[in-house]
Amino acid sequence: MLRSRMKKGKGSTRSNEEDFSVNLTKQLDDNLKNLNKMLDNPSDLVIRELTIGSANHRCAIVFIDGLIDKKVVDGKILKNLQTQLQNKTLPSSDAAILDEVQREIISVSHVEQGNTLDDVSNSILSGGTAFYLDGINKVLIMNTMGWETRSIQEPITESLIRGPREGFVENIGTNMVLIRRYIRDSNLRFTTYKVGRRSKKALVLAYVDGIVHPDIVKELKRRLESIDMDDAPESGYIEQWIEDSFLSPFPQIFHTERPDKVSAALLQGKAAILLDGTPFVLTAPSTLGNSFQSPEDYYERWFVGTLIRMLRYGAAFIAMFLPALYIALVSYQPGMIPSKLAFSIAATREGVPFPSVVEAISMGLTMELLREAGVRLPKTIGQTIGIVGGLVIGDAAVQAGIVSPIMVIVVALTAIASFALPSYSIAISFRMIRFGFMIAASVLGLYGVILLYIVLNIHIVNLKSIGVPYTTPFAPSFVKDWLDLVVRAPLTMLTERPKYTKPNDSKPMDKGEKKQ
Amino acid sequence: MKDFEYGDEQIGEKELRFAIPSIVIGVGVLSLPRVIAQETNGVDGWVSILLGGGLAMFMTWIVATLAARFPKTTFVDYASLIVSKPIAIILTLLISIQFLLFTSYEVRSIASVSKLYLFDRTPIEFIALSFFLVVIYGVSGSRAGLFRLNLLFLPIILFIALVVSIFTLGWFEMNNLAPFFQTSFDGYRSATKFSFLSFLGFGILLFYVALVEQPKAVPKRTAVAMILPVFTYLLIYVACIGVFADSAAGNMIYPTVELAKEVEIPGEFFERFESIFFVIWIMAIFNTTALSFDVTVLAIRSVLKKMSKLAIIFTLSPIVYLVAMYPQNFKDISLLGKFITYYSVVFTVAVPILLLIIAKLRGVKGDV
Repeated sequence: MLRSRMKKGKGSTRSNEEDFSVNLTKQLDDNLKNLNKMLDNPSDLVIRELTIGSANHRCAIVFIDGLIDKKVVDGKILKNLQTQLQNKTLPSSDAAILDEVQREIISVSHVEQGNTLDDVSNSILSGGTAFYLDGINKVLIMNTMGWETRSIQEPITESLIRGPREGFVENIGTNMVLIRRYIRDSNLRFTTYKVGRRSKKALVLAYVDGIVHPDIVKELKRRLESIDMDDAPESGYIEQWIEDSFLSPFPQIFHTERPDKVSAALLQGKAAILLDGTPFVLTAPSTLGNSFQSPEDYYERWFVGTLIRMLRYGAAFIAMFLPALYIALVSYQPGMIPSKLAFSIAATREGVPFPSVVEAISMGLTMELLREAGVRLPKTIGQTIGIVGGLVIGDAAVQAGIVSPIMVIVVALTAIASFALPSYSIAISFRMIRFGFMIAASVLGLYGVILLYIVLNIHIVNLKSIGVPYTTPFAPSFVKDWLDLVVRAPLTMLTERPKYTKPNDSKPMDKGEKKQ
Repeated sequence: MKDFEYGDEQIGEKELRFAIPSIVIGVGVLSLPRVIAQETNGVDGWVSILLGGGLAMFMTWIVATLAARFPKTTFVDYASLIVSKPIAIILTLLISIQFLLFTSYEVRSIASVSKLYLFDRTPIEFIALSFFLVVIYGVSGSRAGLFRLNLLFLPIILFIALVVSIFTLGWFEMNNLAPFFQTSFDGYRSATKFSFLSFLGFGILLFYVALVEQPKAVPKRTAVAMILPVFTYLLIYVACIGVFADSAAGNMIYPTVELAKEVEIPGEFFERFESIFFVIWIMAIFNTTALSFDVTVLAIRSVLKKMSKLAIIFTLSPIVYLVAMYPQNFKDISLLGKFITYYSVVFTVAVPILLLIIAKLRGVKGDV
């Protein structure tokens, strides 16, 4: 079903194009008939005919029920037309009447004239209202969009202890406002695109002119313009279309629900991509180091921020290597484990019928299964899954002698470590790669682990995000950027924008204020 | 998505500065303390390491000066300017054979050491093949990526070398260092020779400097970069002698790995530190191997311009692997190592000096 959205049949999108004229005619009845024919008489299409002026000039307003704000259409358009033009003598020419209506009668801020059927259908399908006047081949198109939306809430996937509680919503207009509220700079740019042949969704590329490197914007625009699909239901579609390498297990463009994160990224010389209909905003270019950064690092004092960030690097290490190291040590280099520990491991493994790699992979898969089940179920039952899975299955498996207790500790520690990473998508990558390391460890022990580690490094040094190497600022190294990488230096020292995005204006912002 | 070239694909002198220690630090340091200890008394070998290192720095400077004389010109092209084209092509091929053999040597050595310290039953062919496949994958990627790997791995390698030297301080005995300055002149001379030979690798500059946009500062900077391996070797050598004394160190096959065996990490989380040390050291050996294989490919490609990089890699790989598997025992491997060293002395020491002299005499210069 999803794949059908990407179908590119050029003929099928415009199959009934020949049936009606594309330009509007002068006859009101013909125009309305054509519109009805194009949309095939939908039941939610509202055509309200009325007469205006002392000469009873015929006209009509057209909209789709449910997409418009009734208060605006009734109170600002219909009422004004009916009361203010009741017995007024209208100008003789039809064009002049239309102008007068646009200028004096309609109290809606966004009004423009259109003269094709496509203008009308596009606008009313996205919540506009069209005003037809008999005797002229033009219409007024008014923006009366207004439908039920979710209000701004705390982002569910990225909650913080300290920091703003606002999250993006599905409405792109609201999201743009949220960004504007953070960056009140005249150089903040929003470039709008329409994506989806059929869905015609609004997509906005946001960046701060003068900070972002122009080549990044140019390249992003080129890639965005290449998008050709029927519908983009979520920004993940955009991400996958424009990413540098689809063969990589790593996400090259990060997404977030937090306006503060997006505005921080914009001010670091990145660009953001907003899509209508999803609260997830993409930020690009993204690098590996970004996946360890959380806004909270900056809100807390730098000691806390630095320690937490180091903790995350440790967590990433555990999430990727711990089961593999366990397998390698137990099955290839048991001599490396201190003898007391080795004895207790051997004692607990007594009676376990499987080699440690089978044990580790099956427990790892069980863990993933529990996580997946917990996500799909309603929240209240999700917790039960955690208890049933974690406690009952883990305990029972040990009791039954299928796995060793140490293995349960290893797997649980790995899972907890992977959830400690601030970016959910990179945590998934790490957990995926973890299985590769387990297999490498079972084939070649520590040697296999280090070889796969080198392979992984080869992969990420060749990987790019919108042309920026994924390993910056480690390599190519920008030593100054290291102040905000593994450590989070005091804010007064982080006065320059990261070098790796090659920002045009690298001048310190906070220092500027200090000097004045 | 098509690749897009505004990212940092340029190779600068900074990358070369990291490439020098990366190619030098490899398997050589694992056995170096033995070789030096056999020739000298007490801790006297430090003089030889410093002398050998100084000589290596000087040679790095010579090689880089020669290459930097012809900015953005490949070795074949500038050698053609100095000594006619046919000779230049022959030289390039001979040098590429040197790096090819060196790649094989590293692959074989890593397999042997792994077998000694990590596995006893896994066949050496499989150990070598798995490592070599990783090298092939690395070289098939972008060259800038390879330099980035150097940048990523070098700090880890230096860190583990430091850990090994610091955490064995508990076993360090001043008595082992004595007697001081009792070595004969011949001993110093031959130890200096061995230490110099362990710093070979600057030959890569003959080819890599051509990739740098502004090579003016390269000779000085890369020569200074040589200090890093010299210092690392010195550290490990002194630690080995301090812990084992020269007589014992001279009888160990890989004294550096044996040194790592003595490491005791507080907290007793790991025993047998030498496995960890060697596993990390694989990164260093990978850097060396990948760079030398990459230079081989680069050199051959500068002659056979029509062949694609991947085609060259896949043609050379079986040869490298076969050569690596040819030696039957430890003695054969050392023999191969010795052969390569003397071969390199001819082509990355004698040849560059000659070329530089001829270039100076004939006044040949690249356009700046």
